[in-house]
Amino acid sequence: MGSKLTDKKRKSRDSDPESDDELANGLFDGILSQSEDEEAYLPSDDGDEDDVDDSESEGTGASGDEDEEDDILSDDIPSDVDSEEAINRLVKQQGELEITEPGVDPKRGEDDGEEKNYRVEKDANGGERYVYDEIDPVYDSDDSDAKGPVNTIGDIPLSFYDSYPHIGYDINGKKIMRPATGDALQSLLDSIEVPKGWTGLTDVDTGNPLNLTQDELELVRRVQMGLLPTDLQDPYPDTVEYFTSIEEKMPLSSAPEPKRRFLPSKNEAKQIMKLVRAIREGRILPYKPPEEREREEEEQEEVHFDLWQNEEPQAPNPMHIPAPKLAPPGYDLSYNPPEEYLPSKEEREEWENADPEDREKEYLPQKHNALRKVPAWGSLVKERFERCMDLYLAPRIRKNRLNIDPNSLLPKLPSPSELKPFPTAVQTIFRGHEGRVRSVSVDPTGVALATGGDDGTVRVWELLTGRQVWSVRLNSEEPVNAVRWRPTKDAFVLAAAAGEDIFLMVPTHASVTPALDQASRDILATGFGYATNGQQPAAPVGKEPAAKWARPGTKLEDEGVLIRITVRSTVKVINWHRRGDHFATVSPTGQRSSVAIHTLSKHLTQIPFRKLSGLAQTAAFHPLRPLFFVATQRTIRCYDLQKLELVKVVQPGAKWISSFDIHPGGDNLIVGSYDKRLLWHDLDLSNRPYKTMRFHGQAIRQVRYHRGGLPLFADASDDGSLQIFHGKVPNDQLENPTIVPVKMLKGHKVVSKLGVLDIDWHPREPWCVSAGADGTARLWM
Amino acid sequence: MDEPMVDASGAQVKVTFTTSEADLQLPETKRQLLVPADIRRYGLSRVLNSESMLDTGSIPFDFLVNGSFLRTSLEDYLTSNGLSLESNLTLQYVRSLIPPVYEASFEHDDWVSAVDVLSESSPSGRWSGDSFQRGQERILSASYDGLLRIWNASGQVIATSPSGSHGGHTASIKAAKFLTNSQLASTGMDRTVRVWKYTESDHFSGDLKPTLELYGHTGSIDSLEVDGASKRILTASADGAIGFWSTSKASAPEADASLLPGAHVSKRRKVTTSITAAQRGPLSLMPIHSAPASAAVFDPRDRTVAYSASQDHTLRTIDLTTSTVVSTLSTSHALLSLCALPRGSGAPLLAAGTSARHITLVDPRASAATTSVMTLRGHANKPVSLCASPHNEYALVSGAHDGTCRVWDLRSVRPATQDEGGLGSVSEPVYVIEREGSGGGKGVQQQQQQQQQKKVVAGEGCKVFGVVWDAELGIVSGAEDKRVQINAGRDVVAE
Repeated sequence: MGSKLTDKKRKSRDSDPESDDELANGLFDGILSQSEDEEAYLPSDDGDEDDVDDSESEGTGASGDEDEEDDILSDDIPSDVDSEEAINRLVKQQGELEITEPGVDPKRGEDDGEEKNYRVEKDANGGERYVYDEIDPVYDSDDSDAKGPVNTIGDIPLSFYDSYPHIGYDINGKKIMRPATGDALQSLLDSIEVPKGWTGLTDVDTGNPLNLTQDELELVRRVQMGLLPTDLQDPYPDTVEYFTSIEEKMPLSSAPEPKRRFLPSKNEAKQIMKLVRAIREGRILPYKPPEEREREEEEQEEVHFDLWQNEEPQAPNPMHIPAPKLAPPGYDLSYNPPEEYLPSKEEREEWENADPEDREKEYLPQKHNALRKVPAWGSLVKERFERCMDLYLAPRIRKNRLNIDPNSLLPKLPSPSELKPFPTAVQTIFRGHEGRVRSVSVDPTGVALATGGDDGTVRVWELLTGRQVWSVRLNSEEPVNAVRWRPTKDAFVLAAAAGEDIFLMVPTHASVTPALDQASRDILATGFGYATNGQQPAAPVGKEPAAKWARPGTKLEDEGVLIRITVRSTVKVINWHRRGDHFATVSPTGQRSSVAIHTLSKHLTQIPFRKLSGLAQTAAFHPLRPLFFVATQRTIRCYDLQKLELVKVVQPGAKWISSFDIHPGGDNLIVGSYDKRLLWHDLDLSNRPYKTMRFHGQAIRQVRYHRGGLPLFADASDDGSLQIFHGKVPNDQLENPTIVPVKMLKGHKVVSKLGVLDIDWHPREPWCVSAGADGTARLWM
Repeated sequence: MDEPMVDASGAQVKVTFTTSEADLQLPETKRQLLVPADIRRYGLSRVLNSESMLDTGSIPFDFLVNGSFLRTSLEDYLTSNGLSLESNLTLQYVRSLIPPVYEASFEHDDWVSAVDVLSESSPSGRWSGDSFQRGQERILSASYDGLLRIWNASGQVIATSPSGSHGGHTASIKAAKFLTNSQLASTGMDRTVRVWKYTESDHFSGDLKPTLELYGHTGSIDSLEVDGASKRILTASADGAIGFWSTSKASAPEADASLLPGAHVSKRRKVTTSITAAQRGPLSLMPIHSAPASAAVFDPRDRTVAYSASQDHTLRTIDLTTSTVVSTLSTSHALLSLCALPRGSGAPLLAAGTSARHITLVDPRASAATTSVMTLRGHANKPVSLCASPHNEYALVSGAHDGTCRVWDLRSVRPATQDEGGLGSVSEPVYVIEREGSGGGKGVQQQQQQQQQKKVVAGEGCKVFGVVWDAELGIVSGAEDKRVQINAGRDVVAE
């Protein structure tokens, strides 16, 4: 701040060269003080100077105070003098300001002595004479437009030249002489008659007294006042209204007014109508005082609208779920209920003591003499609210009731009457066996029936009349477990199993012609020759042959029993191959040799399986192809007899298979199980049952297809009944078999939990024969 | 009795009496009558017998209303048929039937498989010609023990056939018939047809001698039909063949040696017979059935035509002169018995017992539109024996394995219900003849009650195997209960 000021002082001095000397006198203090100030910062001052400075500064301060007092006393507008004073004041203030800086003492007193812009020479009087350097006229050029450089000495402090008369060098290397300063008298004069623009300051750059022009002073003043430094333009000039403010006495144009000036404005009309409409509609209301308005608003808030006033019942949408209906009021809700609905005292107490949530009813029946005495129901709103909450919160879903007639879901089964013929009633009872009849078989011609029973006898009966025509006792101890006719009509051979023996016999039925009888005997006898000829494969040494074929002895041979085959364990099942040369026997307890295949023409017994997984239950030949089925307790395995490989494993899912039979067509299988199930398998379809039927209360012992072309099959159960099924296998492979239970045949008595043990069909007719534990065999037709 | 309707209380019904019997016609004026509504058959019968009407005394009458016999009161009949009491009822009166009363039983040692009767009006009696003396009625019974027995009407055995070892049947006899009073034929499970010469020394003892053994069938022969005039025998066998045989040694061809006994049998088993009859073969053996043939009968008019029934469901017409099948009728069930019912004009009506426990009446004419004319329902077991009534052509008797003989009147007909197939017409038995001589014939309702009490399953122990209806002796039947039972047969069915 201070430096700037000095610059300006110098400038002003430069710009006003006439007052150089004058200025110089007054300016020294300030300049020196300033330079002193600058020096003061340097640590090369002696204590004396400090003291002097202090006193002087005090002195100046006192004088300043006086000036200030003068300023205050005079209210006049500052004149030139005033301006000088103002400058002084300004300087003093600066000094004060500088004093306030800590540890710095301006030394104005000594400045006078040290500021020597001159050369001290001894004049003639011996006195010191200050020789000032010449002033280069260059600097005093009139050319104000192209102002020369104010400072040509560079940025070198003048203090460097304090001891020299010049203050620097110009461009030509000539010394720039220090501006001349007047002597003390001159200074005094100057101070009395202050030139214009005197500031008492020295231009720092040039060393001339800094005189400021009036404009510059004004500038300084403006700066001090915080105003704009220049007075060039007024930021807030008065508005000069060129057109509106001047009323034209005479119109500029004499043209008649345009027509539109007389027409009402459409736009305005539009605006007005808008407002009118707003007013009519009440959107624009006349002003009202706030209190009145508040009051009116309050009044308006109390108006209620019935939202549902005009509600019309609508057809429920598909997602509409009607609210559940409340229970209709009962007698106990009556205002005058019958006595029995009124609570007793204990009940009332109990109700009152109970927690409201635990109460069974939310009210107590009350009796009132008259309807008008019935009080209002206090919790009506609460109840309604809870009801609404229930309806709102309780999720309700639409349960689509299936409008399906359950009967229509049942498979379309033909009625049994359309599936005739099938056996419906017992027609012949074959009595004679003591103990159970274990097995029945109808001969291929359909005339004779063979039965085997617990009494060890095999009996042959006339089928239709029930007349026993032949009987033989095979074994007095072991029951006859199986009887099976050889399935061809060229011979009359019956196989029966009693204990470990299998007997082949030709019953001496009178109606058997001698030729047929002889043919049958020949068939049985050929194997003996085969055996004696030694063509039978020799059994491994040390190994017991699978079976022993022998003649049963004269007594039995007279009866017609011609061959006895002894195997290792009790034979339970015999099944012939369709050609009649082979038959398979199964002895479930026989371990390894449980399944055996016997060849009649060679008297040969073979054990096809070295190892069987599970206990063999029954075995059968496929009716058409060279396949052999063996049923263990859980599975039925199908073996190819030519390739000697396992073809298929059927898994009926039964726990214990009792029997199975192969459809004459060869593609279907029925399985009976001891766990009461009858399972139909489609061998082409799956290993799992096509259909499972559970119609019996007890185990199923035997299942059997009709082999004469009728779509029938039957099962025999321990509950003493037979179930006859219609089971049609369609020719079309895509169709499923039709299985319809058509008849339950009851008649056999259950003896010691055994009912019907075996079943067989007539070869042609829809007649079946069953063997019962009650000692009878029955013909059903 | 003069005005029976006068004392009647309550409603009265206007009836019109008609009849088809010439000797019992009412005068025109008396045919219309008002009778009490609650009157029954007996009352109506008394009205008709009264002096003012027919003045016949005590002829029992039955009344047919719309083709069915009146069994209830008139009022009940009207209400049950939805008729008003004012409607005019037409009552056809016929001579009332007498129940087939049990008359006698002849005990046997074994099941009786077949019976035949020799009497004046029987075919064998007619074939016997003048040699048959009236009063010498004989009953022939064939038994499962292989013996033929000839009984007189009072139940005494006059003759018994020799046993198998003496020239008789070696197995059960299934059928036997008189050819004449001196010749009879029998057949059975031993596949032979045997012709016997029957001679009576006096009226209380006779002798049966085998004259001919006919071989040819390879199965049990179940049925035998004879024609004494032409001395021909017709058999049906379980081998499916129909045999046509001659009873004379001269005209019969030689038998097939392979069928003769002992042809292949070892010496040990050979049956030695002291009396050896001539062994002959069939005139023709027609293996026309694929299943056991159950019966074969001659056409009643033309003895060169035969009909055969079989378990293969077919009924065939055979021309015996050429031994060819003329026509084949298929039915829906196995046929177990056959009987030809002569009809006044044209071919006979064939009644065939089926395994479905009913009797099918079949018109064998090829031109007939519907072959099955009528179904007789009622038996609970297989009807295995049929015999036409000797008195008229509307009645027949059937013996079945349910232990009953049933008498059928083909005029009493109703349409078949849906359960019965809905086609054709159905008749129900007029009388049911039980076994065991338990009082003879009864009405159907009585019989049903009794059956409930007895609870005989499937006729066990009393299967009827053979039944014959003779004009003189009545209905003779043989059964599993080892008896021949005779029931009265006259006036059982309305003429």
